[in-house]
Amino acid sequence: MRADFTFFISVASFNSLPAWALALCTGWLLTLTAQAQDAPLRFGRLDAREAAALLAVPTPNSAAAEVLCDFGQSTIQGKTEGFELRFERTARLLIRRQAGYEHATVRVLLYHDQKGSREQIRQLKGFTYNLTNGTLSKEPLRTEAVFSRKVDERLDEYAFTLPNVREGSIVEFTYVLISPFLFNLQDWQFQGAIPVRWSEYRTSIPSFYRYKELSRTYWPFDVNETGTKPYTTLYRENMHSLNGNLPTGSNSTYTIDTKALTRRWVLKNLPAFHTEPFMTTERDYLSRVDFELERIQFSEQQAPQFIAGSWAEIEKELLEEEGFGQYLRATTPLSTAAAPLRTLPDPAARAAAVREQVLAAVGHNGTTGLHARHPAKKVVELRQGSAAEVNLLLVAALRAAGLEAQPLLLSTRSHGKIQTELPVVTQFNYVVAHVALPDGQQLLLDATDASLPPALLPANCLNGQGRLLGPAGRWVNLTTATPHLLYTQAQLALAPDGSLRGDIRQEYGGYAAAEFRLPLPELRRHWQQTHPDWEINKAEVLAQEAPGRPVALGVQAHLPGGPAPAPTLYLRPMQQLLALSNPFRAAERRYPVDLATAPRTECTLELTLPPGYVAAELPANVQLALPANAGRFFYHITRTGPDKLTVVARLQLTKTYYSASEYAGLREFYSQALAKLTEPLVIQRP
Amino acid sequence: MAALLSSSSFRVLLLVLAAAAAPRPAGAGPAPRYAVADLPAALRENAHAVVRQQQEALVVKSVGRTVETTRRAVTILDEAGSRWASELVYYSSLNTISYFRGAVYDATGRQLRQLRSQDIRDISLSDGFSLATDARGRVADLSQPTYPYTVEFEYEVVSANPLFYSTWRPQPVEQLSVEQASFRVTMPAGLALRYQERQLPAGAAQAKTTQGTQEVYAWEVRNLPALEEEPDGPAVGERTPSVYTAPSEFEVQGHAGQLRSWEDLSRWTYELNAGRADLPPALVAGMQALVQGETDERARIRKVYKFLQANTRYISVQLGLGGWQTFPASAVAANGYGDCKALTNYCQALLGAAGIRAHAALVRAGSDEQDIRTAFPSSQFNHVVLCVPLTQQAPADTVWLECTSQTNPFGYMGGFTGNRHALLLLPEGGRLIPTPRYGAAENRRERHADVFLDASGNATATLRTLRTGLEYDGVAGLPGLELSEQKKYIGNRLALPNFTLNKVSFQPLAPTAAVPGLTETLALTLPGLAPPSGRRVFLTPNLLSRLPVPAASVGARQSEVRLDYAFTQLDTIQLHLPASLRPEQLPAPVQLTTAFGTYSSQLQALPDGTLRYIRRLEMPRTRFSASEYPAYLEFRRKVSAADKAQLVLLKTDA
Repeated sequence: MRADFTFFISVASFNSLPAWALALCTGWLLTLTAQAQDAPLRFGRLDAREAAALLAVPTPNSAAAEVLCDFGQSTIQGKTEGFELRFERTARLLIRRQAGYEHATVRVLLYHDQKGSREQIRQLKGFTYNLTNGTLSKEPLRTEAVFSRKVDERLDEYAFTLPNVREGSIVEFTYVLISPFLFNLQDWQFQGAIPVRWSEYRTSIPSFYRYKELSRTYWPFDVNETGTKPYTTLYRENMHSLNGNLPTGSNSTYTIDTKALTRRWVLKNLPAFHTEPFMTTERDYLSRVDFELERIQFSEQQAPQFIAGSWAEIEKELLEEEGFGQYLRATTPLSTAAAPLRTLPDPAARAAAVREQVLAAVGHNGTTGLHARHPAKKVVELRQGSAAEVNLLLVAALRAAGLEAQPLLLSTRSHGKIQTELPVVTQFNYVVAHVALPDGQQLLLDATDASLPPALLPANCLNGQGRLLGPAGRWVNLTTATPHLLYTQAQLALAPDGSLRGDIRQEYGGYAAAEFRLPLPELRRHWQQTHPDWEINKAEVLAQEAPGRPVALGVQAHLPGGPAPAPTLYLRPMQQLLALSNPFRAAERRYPVDLATAPRTECTLELTLPPGYVAAELPANVQLALPANAGRFFYHITRTGPDKLTVVARLQLTKTYYSASEYAGLREFYSQALAKLTEPLVIQRP
Repeated sequence: MAALLSSSSFRVLLLVLAAAAAPRPAGAGPAPRYAVADLPAALRENAHAVVRQQQEALVVKSVGRTVETTRRAVTILDEAGSRWASELVYYSSLNTISYFRGAVYDATGRQLRQLRSQDIRDISLSDGFSLATDARGRVADLSQPTYPYTVEFEYEVVSANPLFYSTWRPQPVEQLSVEQASFRVTMPAGLALRYQERQLPAGAAQAKTTQGTQEVYAWEVRNLPALEEEPDGPAVGERTPSVYTAPSEFEVQGHAGQLRSWEDLSRWTYELNAGRADLPPALVAGMQALVQGETDERARIRKVYKFLQANTRYISVQLGLGGWQTFPASAVAANGYGDCKALTNYCQALLGAAGIRAHAALVRAGSDEQDIRTAFPSSQFNHVVLCVPLTQQAPADTVWLECTSQTNPFGYMGGFTGNRHALLLLPEGGRLIPTPRYGAAENRRERHADVFLDASGNATATLRTLRTGLEYDGVAGLPGLELSEQKKYIGNRLALPNFTLNKVSFQPLAPTAAVPGLTETLALTLPGLAPPSGRRVFLTPNLLSRLPVPAASVGARQSEVRLDYAFTQLDTIQLHLPASLRPEQLPAPVQLTTAFGTYSSQLQALPDGTLRYIRRLEMPRTRFSASEYPAYLEFRRKVSAADKAQLVLLKTDA
């Protein structure tokens, strides 16, 4: 995985283990057998007959392009004074229509470190095949079509494009990526934006290295095999580095024989992946396998080097790191300023006060990540920092204020779900503060967003479970009971022409409060946009000062009626006030619905009828619920006086995760609720 | 999750502590600057940020080298102004940054810190689609956790590309006020500055002075209050002061040119790209064979264009002078791809081989781009298209070809390149000519719907919608999507609260149609479209074409109203009722005829028991003064009311 390099830089030193330590070390491996498998694709070998057969198979869902075969292999090989990863990829794509031309351009990211070690691309080759009247033309990729570009301090992009791509072209490319960074065993993504006929990945890892796998897929693997095979590599050693008396450049070469663990995954006939609403990140849905270096052991006699063992080991390592654990021990002006807060007796109020201090002293620069980049003192001086820097400072300050605070690791929704059974640190990309209260309760605190009250984490953090560090290390559920609440309260008078006029109080509560803690012009603009039929006479903010309280917008508004008074008036006031539409637009869904927060919409309307008019026909009162009360709808009209009606509507979901099989019910629930809200009230002059 | 925190009253205490936590600069530090207390109240009104001081200078060293320096101090009043707290300075192989400095000050004007080089990030400005580009930038972010504060940035860019001189626009956007801003241009002896002033307040321009052998031009503005952008109005940047400058002579990488007229720029660009039209002989012969026997001029061009579209694709490579100079036609012939210059040059060569003369023409492309400033000859273009004059037509006619798209209809210049000026590239120097403009007759949306209502208020519907002209632009890419993505795209844009989209299909107009068009056919289920209430059922027959009223502005309208997009909407909806329902009350027909547009809608009961709703809206291209805005709003209100008119149906069996 590429997410976080600083943690494993120390691994590099193992590369220089003396060669004699690399004694045969086969015995302790599982003895499994593996059949040698043919490659699913032979680069550069395509004839007209095969091309015609490939073209004859229709592309699913009329996609503009499709992956015919994508084949990757990774292994480790010896080099001078160390080892390196070798990744080879060969792919063949069919470009069906013009909209798919972009898939003939390939971009590869190459990592390099500050010391000058870099990943390199080699043996890049490509062909474009075009079948015209039974003849297959074959044109090679030209070197002038290959460009490299610096993306940032650590990444370069290598981009190339294939020649003469037309509708019906078959394009092929192959390259080898050599990486000195053994922690960066290439991940494999089986699925993408276009359909895939065949995607295959193989790894062959000598026994002295071991990687953890994280695989995710919504489609069962067609092949998922494990085996062993003999492994041989050459390892060169510069002699002068051991004995200064030898002439420079003298070296000796060793042959290392051991066994390799082989893995093979195949997925066939995958549909294209497209994001849908209410998803976390596409990484949670795409079929893929990721790796993390777990262990290095060069002989049975030698103790293994565990890189990423248990959660306990990961925590221990983190707490020793400069960009994490040491942050918590640094004394900064922030921790000094927090110390006097010890006098506040209520620990929750004290925690909130510390958070306020951090919010006021250091702004969030928008970046996430688990590790601090700059020293704590510098972040305080810059008055801005990443989420990790801000929140690690928060933990330290909470401790300085005498609270029992620990970092809590989590993965944001845009980073993906945690697989708790796999202790891999790169699953996390965010840290918040956890405070244990004397009464056994706990607080989760984040200091990146001042619009949120202290009790709420940013919505992007509401993703499954977080890992609490420290002596009480455990998983902490991040699901919140706080909804995304829109509450409307209206007192409206109906006129004989059918127009409505009156006061509307629009409240934004829970997570909606943070979203709508905006200046009046923006609140007003938003309300007008969602209620285009209303004319606003006056708008004011009724409450928004304190985070934790709802934001309330007060509107004096007018909904135009007909050209003249009418004896019968038909009103759909809930539709006019709530302006709801069914959020589940697609008829079908393949993946679960995953919301950060549960939506809840409520409206109470007190309606005054014009003199002489009565409510002739009113919609029936109704209550709807999803199975296990996973959603509730309530609609109720009361005649509160001869010329007065009170209409109450409430629509809410009570959980945030609905499986794909629950989708149809969820969508129908909204559909029925919306149909109810559109039923008219008939008001007549008898 | 977490225990709720009580919001006790520790706020006063906090403020004191937060101040204590703030870092102190070492020693006394520089004297305070930009104190927020010094700001006039008029500049704070309606502003998220205030430009305190801005000094821009352009020093033209020679025909081949310019130096631009900028110093800008901006006070950020609130979070919405924080975009001004960071600065991005562009560079490339032709532009280098000599220095980039900055500092940040608190509300009292005390310097908090200076920007250090390790705080500046170097980023690639890849546009995301270019295969290669040398555009890069350096970025610094001085944002602070509390407001207000002031940032100051200073930088210098040395350019070896003096085709472009500076544009001074001190108040480019809304909700930004300006305390003081100045602009100076220094020209070497013998080199004249060309400039154009826009919206300058009295006294802003200062007389040209002479300093030694150099000539110095200067402009200054003070106390410009923040403006608000208004719907259908000009961009704020057009309502505020600006000065455009341009060279009279220049040299880029050994290519010298003059720029006193459009002809000059045309000639230089032509020469830079000349001699790159050679094609492989087999291809020349192929083109000759392709058009052989075809006598119609337009049909010959169409054949060549079709060949281009089938055999090439757009790949952008923007490196150095390559931003202006094309790859040779032979490279496109070999690779089958190129950028806009290369594909246009290639198409021109293909047409040449077929015996058809065509000219490249520079345009400023983009659906949101303003037309170029035609009265100020200068490099204002970002794209090139092909212009093919028809020689056998009377009156004279022209075919315009967009060479970077494999799907663009023949001869069509849509929202990306249409309705603006293009500069013809000719060896003798070309002139500006207008690209095609499409009006209300061409930009049409015609919809025909059949709605079948059942007794319980649910409905099914088929919708057939033809979009032509610029209306087509928005849907041109839809047939290229996967089927499931087509459904998703359309479903997300249907202005219906509750529906299921069952079927989507597309049918393009014949390629010979005067303007391109696409017919979209949808099948929908509409649960609860017309829920019964007692004996009655209510329905808005105008299912999908409701034109909302523009949001009322808070104060009086300030800027002129520009309705630059002309269009026509035609809706015919056939309502099929169940036997148990008959209309009780039909909405009265509406007919509105104004200078802003014409509208009509009516609902008729047909002899076969169905109801037919017909709606027509035509909006012309027009501009009018702010004083007419209320009348325009009134028109829009009436349209909106008519669009929402309800039909009442009575249950016959009740």
